[in-house]
Amino acid sequence: MAKILLVDDDQAFLDATGELLTMLGHSVVTADSVAGAQRVASGKVFDHVILDLILPDGSGLHVLDQLESGNTTNVTLVTGHPSVKSVVKDLYGPNISYLIKPIDLKQLQSLLDKPVAKKVRSEELPGMHFGHLVGESAPMKKLYEMIDRVSGTKANVLLMGESGVGKEVVAGAIHYASQPEGEFVPANCGAFARDLISSELFGHEKGAFTGASHRKAGVFELANKGTLFLDEITEMPIEQQPNLLRVLETQKVTRLGATSAIDINCRVVSATNRTESQLAEENCLREDLYFRLAVFPIYIPPLRQRLEDIPLLVEHFLADFNKQYQAEVGIDEASLRRLQTYDWPGNVRELRHAIHRAYIMADRDTNNLVLPDDLSSPFSKTGESKISGISVGKTVEDVERELIETTLEHLDGDKKKAAEMLGISLKTLYNRLNSYAEEH
Amino acid sequence: MDEDYRKLIHDARNPLNNISVHAELSKLALQTSSDIDKAITSLDVILSECQRCSQKLQSLADTLEAKERE
Repeated sequence: MAKILLVDDDQAFLDATGELLTMLGHSVVTADSVAGAQRVASGKVFDHVILDLILPDGSGLHVLDQLESGNTTNVTLVTGHPSVKSVVKDLYGPNISYLIKPIDLKQLQSLLDKPVAKKVRSEELPGMHFGHLVGESAPMKKLYEMIDRVSGTKANVLLMGESGVGKEVVAGAIHYASQPEGEFVPANCGAFARDLISSELFGHEKGAFTGASHRKAGVFELANKGTLFLDEITEMPIEQQPNLLRVLETQKVTRLGATSAIDINCRVVSATNRTESQLAEENCLREDLYFRLAVFPIYIPPLRQRLEDIPLLVEHFLADFNKQYQAEVGIDEASLRRLQTYDWPGNVRELRHAIHRAYIMADRDTNNLVLPDDLSSPFSKTGESKISGISVGKTVEDVERELIETTLEHLDGDKKKAAEMLGISLKTLYNRLNSYAEEH
Repeated sequence: MDEDYRKLIHDARNPLNNISVHAELSKLALQTSSDIDKAITSLDVILSECQRCSQKLQSLADTLEAKERE
């Protein structure tokens, strides 16, 4: 919201533009002459001054002479012809903007949104990528490259990765990198009550259904010109998915109970912890919706594939907690090495949780983190092991093969490490792999 | 250009500008609040501003003609 002084000699224009700016959420003061402007503006500070050059009692520029605190105020001249620009530029420098008649909404919005874009940039933090992400490992470098590429486009992004890898953080980074006019609006499809999904996504008019006592904007509307983050997209009931598809295809949203549609222009970043093959198999996402959402799929690497980033992440979390608790807690080399040997099934979220816990347990004398004896969380032992494992009827060869394949997958195909972990020679591992290949 | 013309062209642009702003206003009124009365008020302004614009253009044409005859 901005405070705006609007000066023009045409009363009809003043009324209409004043109303338009008010509808856009700004507070507007109007005046129809130099004297009038000086009267209403005395003692007030405005974010924007929009002026007509030719006023009945003199030049619009006289209004500026009397205005307080000129440096924080953006000055805009309303002119009928672009040639006026060059004449006035010499007088007031480059800080002046222009609206060319006839004025439309686009011009006004781009004018008023300007300073917001500047502010975002100045908040850049050292060591952080796109203001959100930490890590210098190869998988992260690849991720940064992807974010950089997609930020220049309007493509919808589907984020894939295990639970806890930071999908919402990456979505925030994409929003940051794209520098859109609008907001970042996160929404969790799994958290919506089943009956209210449509209302949450698309909004509703007053009286659209029992209990709709006010008009409400949906998340699509809130994210207009910005980024809408739909987490756990597969939790959306399959019968609701066509409604979402329709919005993505037409770029128009109709509130429940409304008669007309609203134009929507936002990037949709959706997220799931399922893999692409799981999406296809489990039938939790319609194929047509998948193609709309996953124009640009991004896979976020699990923490065990970037263990070298752990020191940076720990440093980041420690700085965070130290700021929060106003303390100076650090970590010793041995603990840091231990953190890097664990495989973090709960990913960065689990790491943060472990650091937080160790922070509270920190040694008061050395001011260092104290890690628990067992790092693994109660959740980490369930899940994965179910798929493979021993059951009656399997041959020793089957189990051995499964073990080798699971180990390799876990280490991303690093055969040397796999051989070490399995306690066999590299040669034996190769022999086994060759024999599996021959079977095919 | 003659100062008279400049003034007349400036005058003709004003109604055009109002048409543009009121068109945006009625669009916004319909989109965000389905406020039909507000939209109709704006559309009425657009219609009367069209007339005003036409008059301004006519007086510009008259001035040009008069200048030519001189």
